[in-house]
Amino acid sequence: MLALTVTQRILKELRHTRRSLIFWALFPSLMLLLFGLIYSGQDTQTNAFDYMAPSILIGAAFFFSCLGGPIAAIVAERERNTLKRLLLSPLSGASYFMGVLFAFLVVAAGQTVIVYGIAYAFGGVYRGSLVLGALVVLLSVASYVGLGFVFGSRFTKRTEEVNGPVSAIGVPLLVLGGTFFPASMLPDYLYRIAQVNPIFHMNEAMDAVSAQGLGVAAIVDHLVFLALFAGVTQALGVQSYRAMLQRERVL
Amino acid sequence: MTAVLGVDRVSKTFGERRALSELSFTIGRGEVYGLVGPNGAGKTTLINIACAVLAPDAGTVTLNGGAATPDAHARVGVASQEVALYRDLTSEQNLQFFASLYGLNGEGRARRVRTCLAEVGLEDRSDTTVSFLSGGMQRRLHIAAAMLHEPHLLILDEPTVGLDRESRHRIWRVVRDAADHGAGVLVTTHQLEEAEALCHRIGIIHEGRLVAEGSMDELRRHVAAAELAIIDAGDLGAVRDRADQLGLTHRTALAAVAVWLPERQSLDRVAASFSGIELRSVTLKPVGLEEVVAELTGGRQSEG
Ligand SMILES: Nc1ncnc2c1ncn2[C@@H]1O[C@H](COP(=O)(O)OP(=O)(O)OP(=O)(O)O)[C@@H](O)[C@H]1O
Ligand SMILES: [Mg+2]
Repeated sequence: MLALTVTQRILKELRHTRRSLIFWALFPSLMLLLFGLIYSGQDTQTNAFDYMAPSILIGAAFFFSCLGGPIAAIVAERERNTLKRLLLSPLSGASYFMGVLFAFLVVAAGQTVIVYGIAYAFGGVYRGSLVLGALVVLLSVASYVGLGFVFGSRFTKRTEEVNGPVSAIGVPLLVLGGTFFPASMLPDYLYRIAQVNPIFHMNEAMDAVSAQGLGVAAIVDHLVFLALFAGVTQALGVQSYRAMLQRERVL
Repeated sequence: MTAVLGVDRVSKTFGERRALSELSFTIGRGEVYGLVGPNGAGKTTLINIACAVLAPDAGTVTLNGGAATPDAHARVGVASQEVALYRDLTSEQNLQFFASLYGLNGEGRARRVRTCLAEVGLEDRSDTTVSFLSGGMQRRLHIAAAMLHEPHLLILDEPTVGLDRESRHRIWRVVRDAADHGAGVLVTTHQLEEAEALCHRIGIIHEGRLVAEGSMDELRRHVAAAELAIIDAGDLGAVRDRADQLGLTHRTALAAVAVWLPERQSLDRVAASFSGIELRSVTLKPVGLEEVVAELTGGRQSEG
């Protein structure tokens, strides 16, 4: 299957350059440690690592790997002319998309192990169903990768242009989604706005499963929102990629 | 014989600019076809159309005598003018990836990757990261990536740009091998001697038109000269004036004047025609592609 060929190639590149992998491992680890330790001092009833692990994983970890990674991959593909090379090969746009998605699911799995490893070390507990947790992870990664395709193929022309928009729009969305502190701390009107922020639904769903051990019934709203959002971003992602190929059709 | 590539009355305009006008030619199995022409002549545009990256405004492209379907395109190998490689992967990893895209895997893929690396002379660089290869090595790897799936039609856009003499000859060998194994090859180049040495047939493209095509023998007929005399003298102006008086076509070559001789003649006779001028050297040489191109594209400086 050609998608897996793309997956392999991306993973090899990541392993070879290492810089991204180190950043994607280190950043969420440090954020989890910091916020875990900060909130541990304030709240003695529940372990802060219980509720920080899910949101740090979704926000600090997946946001930069599964959104930033695909953007950088597509932009690099364009800068190095390999995009045009792929255009000449039997690889379809959908296979390419799937290949990237699989690669970042592997990265996300690695980040999950690291983040929960640290949480466990500090006494954090994962309470819910593993399958349900995996589903939330899958929907979150799919949403991020889809968005990454849209941004990478539509808006960003060069690698240097990636960081600006991602930080300017993305980081506030992370905060508004309750990544670094519980969304319940948001004032009412911001909490209402947060309802349209997919990161909010990812965080809430993961927190419900992981920290509170709740079942499907408790997070069905979040799952529906995320499934719709992931579906739309997948479609938009593939479509933006195809549109970009049309624009790039000159050797 | 069915043509590996058939281009039939293909035209293309970019905005106001006409890049290709009703261009037609065919390439047969085992044939190396060279497209020569100055910058902006339309060579790359034609290649883009041949591999379906660009749609022509008019005209058709056929592959192996049939429609240019995606399946047919999967048997085409293209090395674009720009090098396209994954810089963070090794030579071998790059070729493995591209081979996989064409359905190669396992031991067959490994063998093919080794063969292609060896053909372009990079067998001892298989584990080198591409960003650490020299520019010429990258171009050779780029060409190897086009041949992995043993294409019926190999298209190489300026394959020898930036290559040293030895590497260039190596690429020529690669091209000839591919043709000997039955592939049709389309190459573009600015180096006219290269086209002469490498190609069975040559198409001369100028401002989007194919102004002539054929074997070197056929192309020579476009030039009304049997031979050239390359004359170096202290006073090149005097040589030109004399050529004009004799009614001979001439043009400026590198620090010399090239005079077109209508029939073969001895060196003595040529020297005698220019007697009275202090000559440094006179060399007789056969009509080459350079003269044909000059004749057909108006680069010639005739009398007056
Ligand atoms: N995408 C494009 N948009 C507009 N004009 C284009 C485009 N591609 C090519 N052209 C124009 O078409 C003409 C032919 O260009 P092309 O790249 O085919 O030339 P070429 O023969 O390959 O030249 P070179 O030897 O420099 O590679 C040029 O005038 C060029 O400016
Ligand atoms: Mg060109």
